[in-house]
Amino acid sequence: MEIAGTDALIMERMTKVISDVLKPGSQPITLDKRFKEDLGADSLDIVSLLMALEEEFHTQISDEEAARFTTVGAVFDYVKVKAAQKAS
Amino acid sequence: MTRRVVITGIGIIAPGAKDTAAFWDNCLAGRAAVSPIPPHWRHYAEFTSTIWAPLPVLDYPALGLSRVELMQLDPSSMLALCAAQQALDSARIDRAVKNEKKNTFALEGINAERTAVYCGSGIGGLTSLIAAQANHVVSPLAKAFSLVQQQLALDGAHGPAQTVLADAGKSIRMPQRFNPFIVSMTMPNAISANIGIKYSLFGPNTTVCCACSAGTVAIGNAFTAVRAGLADCALCGGAEFLGDDFGGIFRGFDIAHTLVNLGEDPACANRPFDKRRSGFLFAEGGAAMLVVEELSHARNRGAPIVAEITAFAESFDGHNIMMMDPSAVHIRRMLGTLVTNAGLDFSDIDYVNAHGTGTTANDEIEARVILDCFGQKPLVNSTKSLIGHTIGAGGAIEAAVTALSIKNKTTHACKNLDEPIADLNFVRRVETFPIKKAVSQSFAFGGHNAGLVLEEYTEEAAA
Repeated sequence: MEIAGTDALIMERMTKVISDVLKPGSQPITLDKRFKEDLGADSLDIVSLLMALEEEFHTQISDEEAARFTTVGAVFDYVKVKAAQKAS
Repeated sequence: MTRRVVITGIGIIAPGAKDTAAFWDNCLAGRAAVSPIPPHWRHYAEFTSTIWAPLPVLDYPALGLSRVELMQLDPSSMLALCAAQQALDSARIDRAVKNEKKNTFALEGINAERTAVYCGSGIGGLTSLIAAQANHVVSPLAKAFSLVQQQLALDGAHGPAQTVLADAGKSIRMPQRFNPFIVSMTMPNAISANIGIKYSLFGPNTTVCCACSAGTVAIGNAFTAVRAGLADCALCGGAEFLGDDFGGIFRGFDIAHTLVNLGEDPACANRPFDKRRSGFLFAEGGAAMLVVEELSHARNRGAPIVAEITAFAESFDGHNIMMMDPSAVHIRRMLGTLVTNAGLDFSDIDYVNAHGTGTTANDEIEARVILDCFGQKPLVNSTKSLIGHTIGAGGAIEAAVTALSIKNKTTHACKNLDEPIADLNFVRRVETFPIKKAVSQSFAFGGHNAGLVLEEYTEEAAA
């Protein structure tokens, strides 16, 4: 499935990926959450998360882009931009 | 007093079978797994052998593997983990979640520090390395290739060059990324390590790499450790995945002329111990894991006992990296040690699960050895006649077949055996066979020979 659809759909798919990889338990996955500090991710978890996001959204995330992924919101913004690029 | 070692759990994934029950049904029904090789492999080479034994499609998430594990584990580890879970279930060993994120467990009723893991494999995670290497090498070429195609299209070029390019484009296959976990996917010891991590087991933990006898040696090492008191329980067996995306591993065996020729009928091409045999049937992979325990350990927790392991022996040919020593002197010595260690004579053995690859030379030598050592009494079959050769998993699958044959008082026939090469008691049809004492034997590239004696479990100690 390519990057497409509404913000809600993107958020739903992204939340599923984050939940599958980080298993944050009862901690809600919201845009302001920081992966390391709030969701308990270690460095290997971050690598796994990037791989899972690439797989889910059929995209390739560069190291520069990945370095900005400190919060859920940063990933959401990235996916939205990619979806818009794809649509245009 | 000698510590007795019993098998209490069995898990199998093999060509044509997702679990032990399906595998055993296939065995007794004589259902073999044979298919044409993947068509896209033919982009890379012309093959002499064109059939293989594929694994069934496995739904790994349904079998308990997480999204992260699917990205970070080589298929050899996934197969081993799924077979291990089957073995634990059949041994009635429950588990409790230890870490949800890591998808790890602690086994209940087991002393984790006294539980070992021994797993055999021929190539470990090599197929993952091949995939990563394809990405590493082909990525820049694929980009250049794409640019050339685009430019030619812009130039309006139509001709043989475009056809050649289009055909070549079909052969470009690579994963989207160079997997950042490739080191831990490739290392052969990942298989036993992943089992130890999955179930939080802290005893000895080793992956045995001795090709076609690896599964047998791994079970033998578990037997030795439990008998010696180094552990009370072990998960042991073999796991292999050989189906790389390009058929390169297949080609390695094919170019060495070890694989089965197609013949007139693919279903009849794989025929160990038959006069018209031509090589072995390459299997995509497989895994068999056993739970073995010291007897009182098994009894104390009310475990179901499948069979007893009473001896293990191994030897080395010191002859040739890819050929058996025709004199088989060190195989005979190994087998003599094996039955002696079990307190038996050759004449006590009711059943031999042979290595039985189907290659011209190996079957000839093995048939002669069986006849010379065991005579015409024991039943003989080749499990590879049904599922092909799973290399590092083969010995473990065959030990499992041996245990199931003892437990169920029957065993499978030698598939496609029409004209036997020797006057041995080959199993030709499934009947009731009161098998009490049996040998499972394996001989590997490199020259590694290994055998196990399995016996019917009785309250009294075996001989």
